[in-house]
Amino acid sequence: MDRQPQETDTSVVPVALVIGGGIAGMQASLDIADKGFGVVLVEREPTIGGHMAQLDKTFPTLDCSSCILTPKMVEVGGHPGIELLTYSEVTDVQGEVGDFRVTIRKKARYVDLGKCTGCGLCAEVCVQKDKIPNEFDMGVGRRSAIYIPFPQAVPQKYLIDPERCLMVTRGKCGKEPRCQTACGTRAINFEQKEEIVTVHVGVIVVATGYDQFDAHKKSEYGYGRYENVLSAIEFERLCSASGPTGGQIELNGTAPKRVVFIQCVGSRDRTVGNPYCSRVCCMYTAKQAHLVRERVPDAKITICYMDIRAFGKGYEEFYDRVQKEGVLFRRGNPSEIYRRGNTLVVRGEDTLLNLPYEEEADLVVLANGLVPRVDAQALGAMVGLSQTEEGFFQEAETKETVATSRPGVFLAGCCQSPKDIPDTVAQASGAAALSCIWLAKGKAKGSS
Amino acid sequence: MRVGVYICHCGINIADHVDVEAVRRFAEREPHVVISRTYTYMCSDPGQELIMKDIEEKHLDRVVVAACSPTMHERTFRQVVSRSGLNPYFLEIANIREHCSWVHADAARATQKAKDLVSAAMAKAMLLEPLESQERGITAASLVIGGGIAGIQTALDIAASGFRVFLIEREPRLGGHVAGLNRTFPYLEDARQLIEPKIDALVRDPRIDVMVRSEVTSVEGSVGDFRVEIRTRPETRLDSNDQERVEQIEVGTIVVATGHDIFDPTEKTELGYGRYDRVITASEFERLTSPDGPTGGALRIGEKVPQTIGFIHCVGSRDKKVGHEYCSRVCCTYTAKQALWVREHLPDTEVTVFYIDVRTFGKGYEELYERAQKKGAIYKKGVPSEIFRRSDRVVVRGEDALLGEPYEKEVDLVVLATGLVPSRAAQPLRNLLKLSLSPDGFFMEVHPKLRPLDTASDGIFLAGTCQGPKDIADTLAQAHGAASRATTTLFQGKVQIDPVVAFIDPEICSGCGLCEKVCEYSALTLNPYRRVMTINTAVCKGCGACNSVCPVGAISLRHFKPDQIMAQVDALCPGR
Repeated sequence: MDRQPQETDTSVVPVALVIGGGIAGMQASLDIADKGFGVVLVEREPTIGGHMAQLDKTFPTLDCSSCILTPKMVEVGGHPGIELLTYSEVTDVQGEVGDFRVTIRKKARYVDLGKCTGCGLCAEVCVQKDKIPNEFDMGVGRRSAIYIPFPQAVPQKYLIDPERCLMVTRGKCGKEPRCQTACGTRAINFEQKEEIVTVHVGVIVVATGYDQFDAHKKSEYGYGRYENVLSAIEFERLCSASGPTGGQIELNGTAPKRVVFIQCVGSRDRTVGNPYCSRVCCMYTAKQAHLVRERVPDAKITICYMDIRAFGKGYEEFYDRVQKEGVLFRRGNPSEIYRRGNTLVVRGEDTLLNLPYEEEADLVVLANGLVPRVDAQALGAMVGLSQTEEGFFQEAETKETVATSRPGVFLAGCCQSPKDIPDTVAQASGAAALSCIWLAKGKAKGSS
Repeated sequence: MRVGVYICHCGINIADHVDVEAVRRFAEREPHVVISRTYTYMCSDPGQELIMKDIEEKHLDRVVVAACSPTMHERTFRQVVSRSGLNPYFLEIANIREHCSWVHADAARATQKAKDLVSAAMAKAMLLEPLESQERGITAASLVIGGGIAGIQTALDIAASGFRVFLIEREPRLGGHVAGLNRTFPYLEDARQLIEPKIDALVRDPRIDVMVRSEVTSVEGSVGDFRVEIRTRPETRLDSNDQERVEQIEVGTIVVATGHDIFDPTEKTELGYGRYDRVITASEFERLTSPDGPTGGALRIGEKVPQTIGFIHCVGSRDKKVGHEYCSRVCCTYTAKQALWVREHLPDTEVTVFYIDVRTFGKGYEELYERAQKKGAIYKKGVPSEIFRRSDRVVVRGEDALLGEPYEKEVDLVVLATGLVPSRAAQPLRNLLKLSLSPDGFFMEVHPKLRPLDTASDGIFLAGTCQGPKDIADTLAQAHGAASRATTTLFQGKVQIDPVVAFIDPEICSGCGLCEKVCEYSALTLNPYRRVMTINTAVCKGCGACNSVCPVGAISLRHFKPDQIMAQVDALCPGR
């Protein structure tokens, strides 16, 4: 029962391009590379990890997100079959399945990847240390102009923020840049330029993920106006042991005693053009409510909702558990949030009681929905993908979420439609399977 | 012995809290230590070269690296040691980052702890033994158990990757539950047009052997080398020439795609299913509205078109009383589809849907729910407490949770949105394949977030609703995924056997079987002739569970042998 002979196509380059280094792109890359094919993994940010790296715990098992993710990141970073290009973007795609010619722009890090040991001495001496809001902590924490996004970043290589570094913006930083003096391996190079590279690949996996719904668009909730109205991901950083407060749920040094969570912010909402359900918010809100209960045991916690969609494995059970922990589920999303003195007031109608409610809160957390990447259209045009009305990438057939109408281009994760982590991982393996069906034809090159 | 000790600063990560130079001086004075060095970043290329150069020039035979967690860089440093010609297992890591500098604020005591950890690592290093990892060939074929849409898609993908596939199905026909559907949500496409081309492709593919009326009766071996016995029932029991057939096959990997059963609503006697013929299940509704169904697609009660229909959500789901606390994930959306079908085909028929929460979460599902409502389906929050007969109709009674008042609704027909439950017929596979169950009774994946398709046994994977309820789109995504997982070993063409596994001293083992009970990977079996346990090293993960429960000390774990561990303990507790 040896492997059966198969049709071979020597023109197929046995390498896959994976666009996006979140959990979807990482899983697809590992599944492809483990089979002996090459992978070029392109990530726009300076590190892989995506949204999952920002989460504190994951529902419903409350696994620490970093603890389960970072070994996978290290595996991707060290895999001999994966060429990892971070801080890089795909700028052009030509050709067709079997041989796509892909142009990639590697942005200037001003740090030589081969020389940087990730020791961090440069960031310690940077004149702007602790002055620049850290994007990874949603601007809550601070960093230097030379930085790594977070301690477990892969690759463990520093980079310079070209918009904040004085050497880059003004050509001068004191007598001489302290970072350069501190660096023992002379890795910092202000002369570094962006680089354009071209690669040939047989297939493309698009795993570009999602953006968080911009809650400013729901002005009635006061996001951006009231500092104690947070987005879900800001709240994740507030809960995270590696976040700016070391995992203490605190605002200006005090633990909030009254916390209101609001679901479906930017989901199931035609007024903002998003009729669809974002699929994860009900559960992550239940998890966040649990974290508040755990860390502020006497807090009054309310979740305002429309329907509770706890549909995955163990999810209903988790919803049940959170209810038993004394979290009040109030059916009916608020119509507005306003300030009265120092507290917020959440006002709406309880559709079960048929009564209007006004609830005071020290902290309001919005369950922002998942929306298509702001530049999805540009990438779609480049790769040859169409989009749904909502802007997610369109699969070829309605039940086949992986294959697209362009042969050799596959989808993985939330760029196709919102989904949770296990569904993303399963789909990413699926994208790998369909990729390898093509790549296997090319692998036979040279063999009889 | 000639030991080299290498202490990493990890930039500031270690060096800011641990006096690495003091640790170096301490190590240097220890017996057998030939060289001790510190470096800013030992895992970097210059750091690695430092170690390799010393191994060659100073003829080291053991290497201790004091740095970060072994999960981070043990592999890196094993490669370094190996490239210099030493056995890669002549390396010991002292974790002075996660276990020391990151968690202690007092520099003096952190430094002392780092010294202790280094001395323990050195003590173990003296006793390290050379180990070799082995490779074994594999059978480049897969077995897929289950001929529903999940199994069919998995088989097609594996075959398209160039490998042989056996697909076995217990029933005489392929297609599973999908073959019984009329139209699929959310785009109301013909289910036959989805499943039939896949069945055609399956039976035509020369690389796939399809065996219907067949079941697995025994499984032996491990990843890469499974030997499976399959029993096939005769086509008819009347034909005496047609005998039951038993066949042995060999495969490298196995995908379980055995699907689900439908909840039996007679368990919920208050709903009257089985007592009143006006109460039917969603599956029966599918057949009654299907053009190839018994009525040619015309929904009738006797001769009459039903004027009022009630759909009831969560029958057998989210219901602890019947032992199914979980959500079945598909019923809300299939009910929206069925409600819409009624409103479009029988516009004069009134439709009421009784629900708890409407869970239309997939791509295009919320839009389908909206469409059903726009077409006139009325959604009422509150599932009924009972259904009873009134003349020739039935009455649905419950409480409207939004209005806070009781309702009684007389209808011509009730459709129960029955949930998905674990397949009863698949239960024997649990023992044959040593699968675990989740608390909800479905087969359990090894990690709920990051390994949703793998089981605890290498080479055995899950696809579709046998792992938990899911819709067709998610099932297909998972089926493609399972094909990827199942072909990785086949593409590699071999399995690596890690040498860090348990081994048994047959002179000491009494065959008590305690170890077998704690082994999560079923690596241990009793040799019935010699009455001692034997270990399948291809399956053993070296977790250390068995050796710690063995009452007579017959089992040890390579690389973590008792004397190696005790040497570490002695080094850590010198006054003992």
